[in-house]
Amino acid sequence: MSIPFPSDAWIKAIMEDLNASEAYQKAAANWEGDFFFVIEPGGTLETTVILYMDLWHGKCRAAFAVDGSVPKPAFKLSGPVETWKKVMTGKLDPIQAMMTGRLRLTGNMAMVMKNVRAAKELVEACTRIPTVFPL
Amino acid sequence: MFGRLLKIDLTTGSISAEAIPPEYIRSFIGAASLGARLLWDDLDPARDPLDPASPLLFITGPLTGTAGPATGRFVICGRSPQTGWWGESNIGGFVGPELRQAGWDALWVTGRAAAPVYLWVHNDCAELRPADHLWGRADPYQAAALIRAETGEPRARVAAIGLAGENIVPFAGILSDHGRLAARTGMGALMGSKHLKAVAVRGTGRIETARHEVYRALRVQANKRLLEQNMTSVMRETGTSGGAEYLHYLGDMPVKYWTQSAWDGAEKISGAEMASTILTGTTACQGCVIACGREVSVPSGPHATPGAVKGPEYETIASFGSQLMVDDLPAITALGNLCDRLGMDSISAGNTIALAYLLYERGALTVQDSGGLELRWGDPSPAFVLLEQMAARRGLGALLAQGSRALAAHYGDADLAVQVNGLDVAMHDPRAFTGQALPYLVSPRGACHNQSDFFSVELGGTLEEIGIPLTDRRASAGKAAFVARHQHWRTLCNSLVICFFAVLDPREVAGLLAAATGEDRSVDDLLLAGERAWNLKRLYNLRLGWKPSGEKLPKLLLQPLDDGGQMGAVPDVETLLGEYYAASGWERASGRPTPATLRRLGLDGLA
Repeated sequence: MSIPFPSDAWIKAIMEDLNASEAYQKAAANWEGDFFFVIEPGGTLETTVILYMDLWHGKCRAAFAVDGSVPKPAFKLSGPVETWKKVMTGKLDPIQAMMTGRLRLTGNMAMVMKNVRAAKELVEACTRIPTVFPL
Repeated sequence: MFGRLLKIDLTTGSISAEAIPPEYIRSFIGAASLGARLLWDDLDPARDPLDPASPLLFITGPLTGTAGPATGRFVICGRSPQTGWWGESNIGGFVGPELRQAGWDALWVTGRAAAPVYLWVHNDCAELRPADHLWGRADPYQAAALIRAETGEPRARVAAIGLAGENIVPFAGILSDHGRLAARTGMGALMGSKHLKAVAVRGTGRIETARHEVYRALRVQANKRLLEQNMTSVMRETGTSGGAEYLHYLGDMPVKYWTQSAWDGAEKISGAEMASTILTGTTACQGCVIACGREVSVPSGPHATPGAVKGPEYETIASFGSQLMVDDLPAITALGNLCDRLGMDSISAGNTIALAYLLYERGALTVQDSGGLELRWGDPSPAFVLLEQMAARRGLGALLAQGSRALAAHYGDADLAVQVNGLDVAMHDPRAFTGQALPYLVSPRGACHNQSDFFSVELGGTLEEIGIPLTDRRASAGKAAFVARHQHWRTLCNSLVICFFAVLDPREVAGLLAAATGEDRSVDDLLLAGERAWNLKRLYNLRLGWKPSGEKLPKLLLQPLDDGGQMGAVPDVETLLGEYYAASGWERASGRPTPATLRRLGLDGLA
């Protein structure tokens, strides 16, 4: 059964997938830093949704839809839901999306640019989750 | 008013001022394009590029030095001693802006001084001064320091050649203070042939723009937008080599002289690795908010630095890193700085040395040929020796100083050299981005990525505003028209001069130019000016004997590599060229723009 994006259930499904993925654990072995994924309105999504992930040395330690205040994470990646869908379905390369500003990133660029493969594996996980998009 | 040119005859010592014809500026705007128009009038196909009468032109654009978005650049052009074709090299730093502040937009240098000299331009005054004490003794940084001391102008900006330029190594460049190099096509050799060690400039005037307040508002807005871009953050935090791991992942960064794609050393030499290890600061060209320049310090080890030194940019990282399979960032830093101090293009020097390593591996080049050097992949030590030898033209370096094409020919396989029309291919593999093959094939200066960095379009840096969409990076059909349009756009950028690292909306650029010059022009009209200059450079080369038969990729770039991000792709050259000629309005057999194309561009009177 497909899981709606963006939602708490969806990000938790990604967490589960990542923690079972040897490829991700290997690619992200050096990654340290938590994320806000900010999904801006589009289609039937009427309000901005923020998903949180705490990624640490190849594991996802926590993931949830933000409801209320949480500490500011190390990285924030923002963009319209249309762009997120392209990335999540493998139609747009995540680094390409970031480099060209289709997704706006704040945080340590050096850390991101050193972990290209981790980003790719993260997207691979997204493509494995049956997802229904609000578009 | 833009268009003041200073003419310097080094043979006679005469110096005079001229105004560039306004109709030239209207049609060609500035810098490289305007330079092509000026050099067209002078072109004598029978004259050797190193003949004293061959001009060397330092030329700015109407945005140079205006503190616009990444506009601290100018261009040095002439006929290339490296390729024999059109020569052009774009350079940042501060010399161009300083020249305009001194009241000059261009320097036209001809002749040959009886003994080495340097040119000292101080506002309206210009003089030639002896440089015997610098020639053969001072590298470009040292020359700049000595010139500042003896002119009593600590704020003078200096562009100088190194030993390679003095010895007329065909790929010698010109280094400006701040470690910026006009590297490609051998303009340093042209300067050396004239016995001109350096050009020093001090200007205390203002660079006026026609609509000052409008320009100010637009440039503030444009710079603010640049600062908000992820691309700027990547460049600022990790430099031009920040994308090295990603480019390697996609198969763009050449490895082992173009014979391999996957390599586990990329992550050890990237800009991101530099940022987390040896980076101590950043540097910027005049007025630039991007600040892609690196300053690094290596405290200990065999390549320890005496404090902060220039850090390598992407082309140097690949030239002395992945191409030689050297994963030692301090060693690459040291090689890059040695190459700068000797005054050579790191792309051509690195490519030529990597070819020597390949020939050694294949047993063609022996340890006897190398004077005892063992050219083993991964070992940077021989490269230090070879760089010194190349600049001094001694030992094996005397052969390498003739370039990769001569080196390959010497060992009986000229096509092994990865060059097109005499210029070594830049560090972006056209098997990763097939569209990049076209700029290499048809660029007027040879295999160059600075007349069109189409790989960046295929990475996602599209220009939808002028009809350049995202294309399939591994396909060859259906993209040539976009490449042509991109070349026209980049030719315009090289006329203004705006750095390619500034991602700007073309309408924003048109607004800036209008405010600077007082003349409103549409984006389409500016693209037409770019296309006009692109075609003029084509005509320049055709007068020199350029043939379409020379537009071919070397055999190594036609061999598929399936060990990395290229996934076995190879550019289909015939498809690319066929579509490109049709889109450009060029005749396939002769390579000439058709009469209709020339009329459309207003060039029929020249051809």
